[in-house]
Amino acid sequence: MVLTLTGRRWLIGIACALPLIYIVQAIVRVQTGEWNLLGPEPGKAITHFTGTWGFNFLLLTLAVTPIVRLTKQKWVMPHRRMLGLYAAFYVSLHALAYLAFLLGWQWGELGREVVERPYLLVGALSWLLLLPLVITSTKAWQRRLKRRWKQLHQLIYVIVALAAVHYLLQIRASWFEPVAYTLIAAFLLALRLWFFAKKKRARTS
Amino acid sequence: RAVVNASETSFGAGEKPAPYASATQYNNFYEFGMSKSDPFENSGKFTTDPWNVTIEGECEVKGSFALEDLLKGIDLEERIYRLRCVEAWSMVIPWVGFPLAELIKRFKPLSSAKYVEFVTVERPKEMPGQRSVFSTIDWPYREGLRMDEAMNPLTLMAVGMYGNVLPNQNGAPMRLVVPWKYGFKSIKSIVKIRFRETMPPTTWNDLAPQEYGFYANVNPEVDHPRWSQASERRLPNSIFSPNRIPTEMFNGYGEQVAHLYKGMDLRKWY
Repeated sequence: MVLTLTGRRWLIGIACALPLIYIVQAIVRVQTGEWNLLGPEPGKAITHFTGTWGFNFLLLTLAVTPIVRLTKQKWVMPHRRMLGLYAAFYVSLHALAYLAFLLGWQWGELGREVVERPYLLVGALSWLLLLPLVITSTKAWQRRLKRRWKQLHQLIYVIVALAAVHYLLQIRASWFEPVAYTLIAAFLLALRLWFFAKKKRARTS
Repeated sequence: RAVVNASETSFGAGEKPAPYASATQYNNFYEFGMSKSDPFENSGKFTTDPWNVTIEGECEVKGSFALEDLLKGIDLEERIYRLRCVEAWSMVIPWVGFPLAELIKRFKPLSSAKYVEFVTVERPKEMPGQRSVFSTIDWPYREGLRMDEAMNPLTLMAVGMYGNVLPNQNGAPMRLVVPWKYGFKSIKSIVKIRFRETMPPTTWNDLAPQEYGFYANVNPEVDHPRWSQASERRLPNSIFSPNRIPTEMFNGYGEQVAHLYKGMDLRKWY
């Protein structure tokens, strides 16, 4: 790699912020007169946009280990933390956009909404499970938890599976995108199973 | 945008129509794609002239008619209607059209005609949604009304909106507008009208009968299995306000249509 680790960190960090920069400038333009830029339901458009990027970053984070193992590109590994944190960031923005733009902070409605739309519950759970991973993402926590840290962060498998269910439950007529995301997630999770099986075999033989 | 001549009516007095850009760039017309911007983006090459409509079934006057012959002598009027989508959003739209009843009378339906079936054009070469391998819809799109619903003075056959001819993406050259029913009943780009003795099969009802009934009357008390129908988002809304308003029974047209469903269990016949 030509770039130093710090250089790569900056580059990837800025690249990951591009969707945020895009949506913030769009919001500013909508609020300053270009009312139709995000369509007649701008709140919904923002919620979908941040949700899609949250899922994108979850899949990217999950792809790091297989990429390193299969291509031997070890330099990718140190960037997994940032990708994971960005995933949590966009998923949090997605939850916030739902509460602010779609629910309009009407907490009374939330209970009814959740009962009627189980996908909200699944999505909320996926987001909640991300929080302990964010908190324990530092080196200090990694040292403190030792082997348990790895186990804890394997929660990402559950989180991604829940995100896929959250997406699939919303299918009406266009099933392509939810199914495509689910297939990619399933592929990445299947790779894990394969890795585990290989490891087990290596240990027992 | 060719201007059409239409007389004013008092329908929708006091309602604020959605901006033209909202009504023409954000709607469902799966023939042109699955997302709400697809109809606007993919309908440019759709040709609506010449246009023929076939009349079939339980009626005296049958055959294939050119649209202009079909509409000869019909006076157009403007009606501002609320359009409530089954997905829980709504828009106010100024349609240009005429009561469907006027058209139906010309075909002299027989007393055996209990239902009217409508079919949308099937033209995969011009409609990318009909070519899509991802579509679950069995083309062409079909809808239907009971005869008394079709003859109700509120039921409109639209050929224009906002004082102009219908844009392709909104169902040119002729579409149905049934304001007390969810939007999917208001079938677009009609090429066939068939009078029937039996209830016709309809597209969304065939696809997911537990989610979309034949009647599909707007009803805040009967929820869609996956979302509430108690309220709706009136569009366009703004980022910081979803503009949620309570949904009215029969979309607020109960006075004109509630009698059609007297004695019917609307939970069963949703």
